[in-house]
Amino acid sequence: MASGSVVSEAPNGAARIAGVPLFELRGISKAFPGVKALDDVSFDIRSGEVHMLVGENGAGKSTLMKVLCGAYRADSGSFFYNGEPVTIDDPAAARQFGIAVIFQEFTLVPYLDIAQNIFLGREIPGRLPGFIDQRRIHSEAKRVLDLIGFDIDPHLPLHRLGVAQQQMVEIAKALSQDARILVMDEPTAALSDRETERLFAMIKRLKDSGVAIVYISHRLGEVFALGDRITVLRDGRKIASVLPAETTPDQLVTLMVGRPVDTTYTRASRPVPGKVALEVTNLSGPSGFSDINLTVRAGEIVGLCGLVGSGRSEVARAIFGADRITAGEIRLFGEPIGASPEESVRRGMALIPENRKTQGLALNRSVSDNIILAGLRKLFPSGLYVPRRAIKAARAIIDKLRIATPTPRRAVATLSGGNQQKVVIGKWLNADARFFIFDEPTRGIDVGAKAEIFRLLDHLVHDGAAVLMISSEQIEIVHICDRAYVMRGGHIAGELAHHELTEANIVRLGIHQ
Amino acid sequence: MSAHKLTPASMSLARVPGVAIVLAILCATFGVMSPGFVTPANISNILSQSTILLLLALPMTLIIMTEGLDLSMGAVLTLASIALAITVVATGSATLGFLAALTVGFCFGLGNGVLIAALDIPPFITTLGTLGIAQGLSLLATDGQSVVGLPRSIEVIYSGSAAGIPLPVVIAALAYALTYALLYHTRFGTYVFALGGNREALKLAGISVRGMLIRVYVFGGLMAGFAALLMTARLNSAHPTAGIGMEFDAIAAIAVGGTSFERGNGWLFGTLLGVIAVGVLRNGLNLLAVPSSAQVTCIGAIVIIALFIDGLRGDR
Repeated sequence: MASGSVVSEAPNGAARIAGVPLFELRGISKAFPGVKALDDVSFDIRSGEVHMLVGENGAGKSTLMKVLCGAYRADSGSFFYNGEPVTIDDPAAARQFGIAVIFQEFTLVPYLDIAQNIFLGREIPGRLPGFIDQRRIHSEAKRVLDLIGFDIDPHLPLHRLGVAQQQMVEIAKALSQDARILVMDEPTAALSDRETERLFAMIKRLKDSGVAIVYISHRLGEVFALGDRITVLRDGRKIASVLPAETTPDQLVTLMVGRPVDTTYTRASRPVPGKVALEVTNLSGPSGFSDINLTVRAGEIVGLCGLVGSGRSEVARAIFGADRITAGEIRLFGEPIGASPEESVRRGMALIPENRKTQGLALNRSVSDNIILAGLRKLFPSGLYVPRRAIKAARAIIDKLRIATPTPRRAVATLSGGNQQKVVIGKWLNADARFFIFDEPTRGIDVGAKAEIFRLLDHLVHDGAAVLMISSEQIEIVHICDRAYVMRGGHIAGELAHHELTEANIVRLGIHQ
Repeated sequence: MSAHKLTPASMSLARVPGVAIVLAILCATFGVMSPGFVTPANISNILSQSTILLLLALPMTLIIMTEGLDLSMGAVLTLASIALAITVVATGSATLGFLAALTVGFCFGLGNGVLIAALDIPPFITTLGTLGIAQGLSLLATDGQSVVGLPRSIEVIYSGSAAGIPLPVVIAALAYALTYALLYHTRFGTYVFALGGNREALKLAGISVRGMLIRVYVFGGLMAGFAALLMTARLNSAHPTAGIGMEFDAIAAIAVGGTSFERGNGWLFGTLLGVIAVGVLRNGLNLLAVPSSAQVTCIGAIVIIALFIDGLRGDR
C-alpha cells in the first residue's frame, strides 16, 4: 500500500514548521462489537491546511473524528500535540487543544435559542454564581453569526429553524470556540449553493489565519477544490495520503473502493422487463414534491436519485402510503393504492428503510422472530404461535439469502450490518412482497457485504420482483439499476435509460444549473 | 436548495395557549354557578391552597423536561411533613423540624437521582419504588396515626400574612422566582433543556449528564421538603396519608400547562397557570359540594381538554 504517505508543505504555504504537525494521531484502533471500526490509523493535522478525509460509508471517518474530539475512547494508539504526547479521553480534554467539531448529526438542543446552543457548556458567567450573562452570549453569538454571514436573530429558538439554518448554527458553534483544529463532517450536505460558497470563503479565511481544518466529504468536487491534502480511509484502515495536484478524481475513487470501480460488482444479465408493477402518475404531496411520474416493471431495478433534500425519500414514503398526497395516483400491479402502509403491505409492497436499526429490525429479538414478523397472519392463520413453523420458515429464508448466523435463534444485534440488512429483506420475502422500495440499502455496510446485497437484488428481480432503489451513491445506481429517475427540488428532473446511466449524467440532472 | 415555502395567514393568528382558555372557562363557569366563588376571601383561599401543589409542580416541570418523572413526590412530601412534626414535638424547635423535612427531601431526591442517573433505572420504576418506601416509612413512623401537638409558630407559616399577602403565597412566589431564575438564567437550567432535548449534545459539550440529572431530582426532593413545611402548617399536624396522590395533581397541572413530555419542551409559566387551574377546579367543585373522588375525574378530563385544544392548533 501507499504507506510512504506524501507529506509536504501546503501549496500556498507561508513558511510553516515543516517537521512537527500541530496534532497527530498514531496507531489508533477502535472496535465495536462485531466491527473493527478503526485499525491502526495514523493521521496528522497541520496549521493552515485543509486536510480532506474521504472514504466510503463505513470506512471509519466519523469514528476517527469522534476519537479525535474525545467522544470515543480509542482502544489503542497515542496523541501528540505539537510533538508532545498528550491524552484525550473526554470532550473537555479535546477542547483544551482547541479541537472543535461540526458533527453530521446535529448536537443542538431544540428548545434552547440559537445563542444558548452556540455556547452550550461554555456559558459566559453572569454576576451571580451559576448564572449566565444572557446579554453577552447573545451579543457574542451575533458576532459569530455575522462572521459567517448568517443573518438571524440569536434569540430564535432552535426548533423553529430549518435544517440548513441548523447547520449554520452548528458551524457558528464550532467557530465560537476559537478552534485551532476544526473538524467538519460533511458540512455542505444540507446547505444551498450560496451557503456553501459562503462556507468555503470562511474556510479559506480560517485557513489563512492558521486554523487546521479536517474536512470529511463525499463530494469529490469539494475535495479537490478545498483540500491541501487528502487522506483515504477504507474499512477502518488508512489507505493513502495524497496531494490533490498529483491525483485525479478517478484515482481517488479507486483508492476509496480499493479496486477499479467497474469491477466492484458484475451485473448479472437481467430478465426482460415484465408487466408494470408500479405506476405513479402526476403525484404531488405536501411534503414537497409535485408532478411525479414513474413506472417500475417486474424484473427491473429502477433507481431514484438526487441530492439529499431533493424529495426522493418523501416520494418513496408517499408511494408506500406513509405520507399524505394531494394529487395524482399510485397503482400497484394495476390496482390503485396509497391509503395506508397496511394496505400497501397487504398488496405486496415492502419498504426497506434507510435506518434498519431503528425502523427495520427488533434488534434484541432473534433472527427468526424478525424474519416472520411481517408474515404472521400467513404463517399462523389460527393466531397461535407455533415455534416449529416459525423456525422452519426462518430457515428457508436464511438459506435462500445466505444469512450468516449460527442459528435462527441468535439475536439480530449480534450480526454484521450486511447480514442485518438481509434479515430485513428476508422479512419481506417471507411476507410475499413483490415490489420493493430500498432506501439507501448499503448505508453503513462494508464493501464486501455491499456486493452481496447487490447480488440479492439481482436475485429478487430474477424471481419476478420489481425494485425501486434510492441511493446517494451514484456509483451504485449506475452499476445496479436498469434505469433511473433523477430528482431535483421536488420534481423529476429526468429519466436515464440504461445506456445513458452514468455518474456524470446523474450529477448533471441532479444539481441546479 | 429547495424553494422556501411561503405560509401566509397562519402565522398572524393570536396564539392563546390551551391552559389560559381552560382557566378562563373554569373561572367563568364557577363564577356563574356559585356566588361565593368571586370573593376576595375565596380568591385568596384558592391561591393559598395552590401553593403546596405549585411547590411540587415547579421542580416536577424540570424533571419532566429531562424526559423523567418523579412519582414519589407526594409520598416524600408526606414523610417530610411527618419528620418535621415529630422533630418539632420532640425538640420544640421549628428550625430543627424544618431541617428534618429538608433532609428527608434531599435524601429521597438524591436517591432517586443516583438510581436513575448512575444505575440507569427508568425514572418511572425508580420513583415508584421510592414512593412505596416513603409511604411505608410514614405509616411505620406514625403507626398510621396523625402527629399532633405542634406549637402555634408552625401554624402561622400558613395562616399568617405579610403586607396583606398570605404567607404561603409569598413563599410560593419566591419559589416560582427561584425556579424561573434557575431554569432560564443559570447553567443548570440550560442543561435541563439539553437533558431532554439532546443529551448527546450535552455530553459532547463536556458536561456530566449524570451529575446534572442527579441535581434535577435533588431539587425536586428539596422542594418537596419546603412543601412539607406549608402542608404541616396548614393542617397544624402531620398525617401519614396527607400527600397521597399529590404527584398526580402536579403532573396534571404540568400537562395542562403545555409542557411536553418530549425533547425538553417545557414552559414554567404554563405550569403556574396549570396549578391555578387545578386549584380553581378543586375549589369550585368544593363550593358546589362535589365529592373529592369526582374531582379527580374532572382533573383528568381537564388535562385531556387542554391538550386537545393545543393539539387542534398543531402546537404539539
